[in-house]
Amino acid sequence: MADNAITGYADALFAVAAANDVLATVEDELFRFSQALSSDENLQATLNDSSLPVDRRQQIVEDLLGGSASSTTKALVSMIVASGRSARFSNIVDAFIERSAASRNKTVATVRSAVELDDNQKDKLVTALSGATNKDVEVKVVIDPSVIGGLVTEIGDDIIDGSVRRRLNQLRENFR
Amino acid sequence: MRRKGIRLSFSLLFAMAGLLFFAGPASASGESIGSCVVEKLEHIMEEGHHDDGHHDAEHLFHSLHAEEGATEEEKKAVKKNEDKLESCLEAPSPIIPELSEVIWGGGAFLILFVVMVKKGFPAVKAAMDARADKIREDLDAAEKAKTDAQSVHADYEARLADAKNEASRLIDEARGAADQVRSDLVAKAEADISEMKSRAASEIEASRQQAIADLRAEVAGIALGAAEKVVQSSLDEDAQRRLVDQYIDEVAGS
Repeated sequence: MADNAITGYADALFAVAAANDVLATVEDELFRFSQALSSDENLQATLNDSSLPVDRRQQIVEDLLGGSASSTTKALVSMIVASGRSARFSNIVDAFIERSAASRNKTVATVRSAVELDDNQKDKLVTALSGATNKDVEVKVVIDPSVIGGLVTEIGDDIIDGSVRRRLNQLRENFR
Repeated sequence: MRRKGIRLSFSLLFAMAGLLFFAGPASASGESIGSCVVEKLEHIMEEGHHDDGHHDAEHLFHSLHAEEGATEEEKKAVKKNEDKLESCLEAPSPIIPELSEVIWGGGAFLILFVVMVKKGFPAVKAAMDARADKIREDLDAAEKAKTDAQSVHADYEARLADAKNEASRLIDEARGAADQVRSDLVAKAEADISEMKSRAASEIEASRQQAIADLRAEVAGIALGAAEKVVQSSLDEDAQRRLVDQYIDEVAGS
């Protein structure tokens, strides 16, 4: 039931973005806002607080996005907050990105890195992941300092961890 | 045979008793002295009636008392009468009884003998037999009572022996049970002590291992924290790029 709701919201987001022909823009803006929301517990608590009036929570979102997001993106985020689905926002956005990539016959790979990747690295990574998975892969990069160095890629249920954090954890396990 | 002898002895005894009872005192004429004297006096008085016409008492007096001046013939007559009277005083033979006495005594003896044989002896025998039977029955009863008493005593002894054996067995069982309980308690106590020791040793070992693990984790955490800082400080832009490129090469080569 929850999955159906998430899929339904994702389909709705996709339909609105596609209808406005801002699919790529909305996809990128929603992905970044989802990452920002996942890393900010106070913002999550505020948006999930049912004691706050809905219009107040919508106003907070619009203030945060401000001029850095398109009107379509702000409208969609405001809709999700108004529907009380803020707690599942990242799941809805992930489903939306998967749905959007699927419309382009691509698979989304979420890559976490401690530093920004340049275009050359992204292209080489897309090529490498597409070759490894035999799928047409689309990369979404998330800056995560906890990775320390290297990359962590998630494609569906598969995780390819080549981070310094993993090596340090392995070293920690070896000490036990 | 013996019964017959006893029977005859009793008959003779009763016959002799009867003879002594019915027999009168011995005398010369087979009568008593008084009757003998009376008979002699009557005879003397009858003789006097033929001789003279004196009265009886006077004649009897003269016949037995010679007066002075009596003739020799009269003295002889008096003497003769005195002899007659004195003959009554003569003692009978101590050995040979008078014939009449023998006849009466024998008849009485036979009568008594027959009566005793026919009536007395059977009654006495019946009484004796009854008494003998009663005594025998009493003896039998006493014997039976004795046997019963012995049986009861034997039964009592047996029961007492059984009770002693049962008591001994119960005591043995109780002692055995007590020993078993004591052994079980001792074994359980030893097992508990052993388990407690083992558990304490295990807990000590676990605590030691946990302390070692905690210390090792603490040391590892400190070391890794230091290493992480060193790594983070040493990961400059070029190093980050090399790590990314290395990752991409590994993914491409997989």
